Amino acid sequence: MSRLGMLLQIAWRNLLASPINLIIGGLILAGTLLFVVVGGLLDSLNDSMARSVIGSVAGHIQIYSSKSKDELSLFGGMGGDPELAAVTEFPRIKEAVEGLENVKEVVPMGSSGALITAGNIVDVTLEKLRNLIKARAGSADDPRLARLTPEALDARISATRRHVRQIIRVLEADQKKALAILKDQAIDPDVVASLEKVSQDAFWDDFDQDPWGSLEFLENKIAPQVTDAQLMFLRYLGTDLDQFQQSFDRMQVIDGTPVPKGQRGFLIAKLFYEDQMKLKNARRLDKLRDATANGRLIASDDELKRFVKENRTQTRDIVLQLDDLKTAEATTKLQAFLKSTDPDLTALLSTFFDTTDENLEARAAFFYAELAPMIELYKVRIGDTLTIKAFTRGGAIQAVNVKVYGTFSFTGLEKSPLAGNTSLMDLMSFRDLYGYLTVDKAEEIKRLQQDTGAQTVTRANAEDELFGEGATIVAEATAGIIDEDKTFTGVGRRLREDDLVKRVYTDSEINSGVVLNAAVMVKDPSQLTATIEAINRLSEEKNLSIKAVSWQQASGILGQIITFFRGVLILAVLFIFGIAMVIINNAMMMATLQRTQTIGTMRAIGAQRSLVLTMVLTESVVLGVLFGGVGILLGTGVMAWLHQRGIPAPNDVAYFFFSGPRLLPDVSSGNLAIALVIILAVTLFSTLFPALIATRISPLRAMQADE
Amino acid sequence: MNSIVSIRDVVKEYELGTTVVQALRGVNLDVQKGEFLSIAGPSGSGKTTLLNLIGCVDTATRGVVQVAGRDTARLTERELTDLRLNTIGFIFQSFNLVAVLNVFQNVEFPLLLQRKLGAKARKERVMSLLEQVGLHTHARHRPSELSGGQRQRVAVARALVTEPLLVLADEPTANLDSETGNQIIDLMKELNVKKGTTFIFSTHDHKVMQHANAVIRLADGKVLARESAKDAVAHALSLGEAPTAEARA
Repeated sequence: MSRLGMLLQIAWRNLLASPINLIIGGLILAGTLLFVVVGGLLDSLNDSMARSVIGSVAGHIQIYSSKSKDELSLFGGMGGDPELAAVTEFPRIKEAVEGLENVKEVVPMGSSGALITAGNIVDVTLEKLRNLIKARAGSADDPRLARLTPEALDARISATRRHVRQIIRVLEADQKKALAILKDQAIDPDVVASLEKVSQDAFWDDFDQDPWGSLEFLENKIAPQVTDAQLMFLRYLGTDLDQFQQSFDRMQVIDGTPVPKGQRGFLIAKLFYEDQMKLKNARRLDKLRDATANGRLIASDDELKRFVKENRTQTRDIVLQLDDLKTAEATTKLQAFLKSTDPDLTALLSTFFDTTDENLEARAAFFYAELAPMIELYKVRIGDTLTIKAFTRGGAIQAVNVKVYGTFSFTGLEKSPLAGNTSLMDLMSFRDLYGYLTVDKAEEIKRLQQDTGAQTVTRANAEDELFGEGATIVAEATAGIIDEDKTFTGVGRRLREDDLVKRVYTDSEINSGVVLNAAVMVKDPSQLTATIEAINRLSEEKNLSIKAVSWQQASGILGQIITFFRGVLILAVLFIFGIAMVIINNAMMMATLQRTQTIGTMRAIGAQRSLVLTMVLTESVVLGVLFGGVGILLGTGVMAWLHQRGIPAPNDVAYFFFSGPRLLPDVSSGNLAIALVIILAVTLFSTLFPALIATRISPLRAMQADE
Repeated sequence: MNSIVSIRDVVKEYELGTTVVQALRGVNLDVQKGEFLSIAGPSGSGKTTLLNLIGCVDTATRGVVQVAGRDTARLTERELTDLRLNTIGFIFQSFNLVAVLNVFQNVEFPLLLQRKLGAKARKERVMSLLEQVGLHTHARHRPSELSGGQRQRVAVARALVTEPLLVLADEPTANLDSETGNQIIDLMKELNVKKGTTFIFSTHDHKVMQHANAVIRLADGKVLARESAKDAVAHALSLGEAPTAEARA
């Protein structure tokens, strides 16, 4: 047996001799297990979140103007969107950064948000009626209506009129219910009178004699009574859509088509489309089906019960969409399906939406097969043109019309609200909304300058040029009739025109102009830090005024969540090992004092102090390695099991962190090595003092009789 | 000169609180190679202190202690440990075996410290010694599985395994019954004769004393006499018949 073998054997036997070693070992085991498992989980979370963030919006690196007031935070920060300075020389920056070795691509970006309103059903129907009547009068705005024959137009006008009358009937029924509950004084008599007027046949018989006056009455007196127009906050990312789809390969167009290369267009995030734009009753049916498919029961789940209740009481969105013919059709279908004789559609719908775990599938199937084709399921249809109004940075309101080409989502993140709430917009429209000069606007200004003979007045010469002698700039104002159509040929007007929607922009047009930030895709993600440094160096050398940050920094609070949890883990592990250290120290101290005669004997028969030191330290190292090793093995086993099984995302938010429906955690060799180092450090450190005490035991102790 | 131990005017003082206790008061002693020497004397006479100084586990307050020709006062801690390892074997009153090691390992321990022999040579040496002490069949036993006498035999084997010049035994039979004690002394004597190893052992048992070549009689920290075993036994017996005198001493 070698000297080391003997020391190991002494250590091993001493370990077995004392039950306190089991407690110490248990603590080391628990600490190691915790470190390996939770550390591994956090690493895996970090990796999968990295995939989510990198793959959905951030890319590996984000660059933005170094003159920005705030730091870039792609998912918004505590105080809303960060204030970023515009990157004005994007083409130069793109060229310079793409010249770096590890950089694959630079994708321009800018994100913002706007409130959009989906007008209420009365507004929408009345507008439809107005357009039809306008078309009949020969001044159609919509070229598609202009192509219709007079007969077809008449048929559509008659159907729309019936729809308006059906809406009025619903409103009347509402009012009767209200009058039954409230005192007469509580309801504006003007409202009652207006409703009564439009519900009479006389109003409709005279409609065609003064269609504009009748429409105005309906718009001013009836439409305001339906107040359920929905405000939606639409978050969008302006980007080079073509390049975006190539660089972020997890992005998939779900409905519709991608925006044609170089054109203006809008892609709605699928989850937002479903959550915000879909008819609420249909959305709730989807959610109920989803939940029951995952094993939840309506009978015992409060949230699902609430969905059913809301579906039963909120049927107006459906009822108001149906004209008299469709109302009758829906009533008949529902009567047959429910085997009911109730003539009231609202009551039938309420009964229909009383879904249970047993009838849910059949009712949902009936809804989509029979009722859905009669109504608009979505507030915005693919192919519609969406008018988005937003405040520009200057505070003015800017509006753009963009065609909705389709919806999209990121593979694996379909259910994640974090990845599924930001829609995509072309850069041109984004710049318009954000209030920056675009190619179109530049052309517009140039044309206006030419048309009006306006000259650029520099600040230094302003006084002379404007008020000095020989000033030619000031024109004489003349009073006259303003023809709005001719006056507003500016950008706001032009943006509404069809040719702008159809215009194809070149890459250089897309790139020239401001962006707020840009995603940098790299070839080798392991070289991220070096690449960030390289970009920042490049910015200094070439005076690009940009700042590069990792995806993690760019994702703001979100990116720091993992860092936070890692901190908590480290504290927990430190706490456990702290306790272990105190106990190990005490136990080894006691063990040393109990063994003074043995140690004294060893010293007497010729063992140097160094051997005693080694002996005591070996003992704790054996303890640490043994129990720590078991902890590592157990931890690895747990992780392997979790990897095989996968951890299902507990909720929709977790989809983003899990980068899909399941997290498949892996244990990293780095974590195992760190765990081992921590164990050795903890055990050695806590045994150092007892070991030093042991070396001070005199060989004289051997001569003393048994203690 | 053939002295393996040479002690000149050695004084050993201990401080007990504010008082200073003199355990040895000017001891002079020479031990020749191959001697089988007993140090006798009543409790508190300084036997163990004298053995500690010879065994280099303690140093004298004054005077010179030379072991194997080296002045122990001039040696460092490390050198003293080496001297103990290579020159001296120890047999303790309480056997002092390492409880977690088996018989073989206990005996092998000093050889491992020495790092002079390979595994095979060590094994041969240890087994040969275990055979000599009659425990070669118990090599794998743990000390707790042995009787007191067997344990002391293991201790004897351990003391001799490095082939030291000198073996010190402090009351080696005190924890044994008289028959077993005699067997141990016989064993020591046998090894002394066979190998020529010098043995110094302390005892106050006259039956043990009678095996010695010579007996150093200590009292009150002084050497009273160096005499033959026969005289020493006679003296002890006379004291034994007058217990009051022994108590006084």
